[in-house]
Amino acid sequence: MSKSTIKIERLLHKGAEASLFFGHWFGKEAIFKQRIPKTYRIEQIDSQLRLSRTLNEARALIKVKTYGINVPQVFEIDVDSSTIIMKYVNGEKLKDVISDLDQVMRTRHFFQIGVFISRLHQNGHVHGDITTSNIIVTSNEDIFLIDFGLHEYSDTIEDKSMDLHLFKRVLISSHGKYFDECFNSFLNGYRSEYLKNSSNQYNPIIQNIKVIESRGRYIKQVDRK
Amino acid sequence: MKKNGNLCLGIESTAHTWSVGIVDFLGNVIGLVSDSYNPDKGGIHPALVREQHTSNFKKIIKQCLNEADCSIKDIDLVAFSQSPGLGPILKIGAQVARMLSQLLSIPLVGVNHCIAHIEIGRFQCKIDDPLTLYVSGGNTIVSAYESERYQIFGETLDIPIGNMIDSFARDAGLPHPGGPKIERLALKSSNYLELPYIVKGMDLSFSGLYSSAKRLLQSNKLNKEYFLEDIAYSLQETSFSMLTEVTERALAHTRKEEVLLTGGVAANKRLQEMIKKISEDHNSRFEVVPLRYAGDNGAMIAWTGILRFLSEGAHKISETKINPKQRMDNITIPWRD
Repeated sequence: MSKSTIKIERLLHKGAEASLFFGHWFGKEAIFKQRIPKTYRIEQIDSQLRLSRTLNEARALIKVKTYGINVPQVFEIDVDSSTIIMKYVNGEKLKDVISDLDQVMRTRHFFQIGVFISRLHQNGHVHGDITTSNIIVTSNEDIFLIDFGLHEYSDTIEDKSMDLHLFKRVLISSHGKYFDECFNSFLNGYRSEYLKNSSNQYNPIIQNIKVIESRGRYIKQVDRK
Repeated sequence: MKKNGNLCLGIESTAHTWSVGIVDFLGNVIGLVSDSYNPDKGGIHPALVREQHTSNFKKIIKQCLNEADCSIKDIDLVAFSQSPGLGPILKIGAQVARMLSQLLSIPLVGVNHCIAHIEIGRFQCKIDDPLTLYVSGGNTIVSAYESERYQIFGETLDIPIGNMIDSFARDAGLPHPGGPKIERLALKSSNYLELPYIVKGMDLSFSGLYSSAKRLLQSNKLNKEYFLEDIAYSLQETSFSMLTEVTERALAHTRKEEVLLTGGVAANKRLQEMIKKISEDHNSRFEVVPLRYAGDNGAMIAWTGILRFLSEGAHKISETKINPKQRMDNITIPWRD
């Protein structure tokens, strides 16, 4: 490689907490996720938070890959700039392609998402932000989960149920037309992966969605996204 | 006195403050008198507060009528804080309001205390549709108006921010109210001691932070390796950073063009500075409720009562039962849109 083997090339997305850049890492296409310093809080708090969140997210990505879930491979963690350098997953956000898919493909994808989330939950993780913007469909029709920024280690029914609830809300608000078939396929995938391990743990988790919905906080709430 | 249109008398009685405000239907506050229970030691004891409110309520109403230069017969509407708050204390306000309504044969309206904090802020700061950070001894809420309600985007999962600061101040031997004393102490330090920073999505947790700060206070390293002002500084920096992070996230999400800081803790200059910073970053206008209307007060109850009365009419007596736990996102807001 000339000049440098690590090169940040262009900004892809600027979020509230982090910026995503595209670039190359030792010849490979890479994503640089850099947590932005926040000037409203003092340096000690800010640098500590950015560091711990960067490490948490990177650890989660590495860990959940071992359960057979498609997530970007972590290449490197740069502690000084609180940046995760990971493999660039070439594909489209599910959000952008959902309406171009035929029903067979949609059903297949959502089933697969259900399988991945089920594996995540069975191993004591929650994603924290399952949306159709955080799911990538590659040109080989593979599904990848991205953005583990709100990931948590949890084995409670409530947290897992919340994961499903948030996904359900996103589907209703952004893709209402396909909601029924998508969410049903998703739940089928979710259940099937539990049943593979002869577990019926999915039951209380799915039932608890109704309990969450009955709370004042979520009545008639309309999502943007 | 000559009446400037119709008048509403509002009664605030959710916690340690008994406050009476008289507001005309255009929103001008023509009388506001408050009486607060100040414990010699410890916090708010509901039975003792109730005792003070029951023996003082008549006097405060009279003082407020004097300040407004009008007679009780000039009042056209009674509003009271119906929810949320401490049950025994909410009851006194409700009873006094029902009594006035029946004696004077005037309509009666129950008001949600949290909504009143937002409405007085909107009116006093002349803003239309803000993202609100409401921080007080009893509440910690990030809210914005959407689909007919003040939706709650983030809130505390355990204790409210004001309660946390007051409790810590009490443990440190600082008399009530502790908030301003902690603020003054914090100005003397820039030595940050690490404390737990707990943000879950858009929700907050302060109880672990409180326990850790208390542990620092009880350690024998106090006054040797660090001092009370260092803990005060660290407590404020940590908790306010948490509040600001959640507010910023909600702001990015809702894309509101105005930010309103309200409630008793809104008086804190450091918190104002932080929220102002993120408002500017998102090109939103930042406003703090004027100090007089930041804490619990009868004027906000009166004003919100007027809004409700003009759009939906009065409540029947049977609808005025108090509701100590009511969430503000369970109430539709017919006077907006």
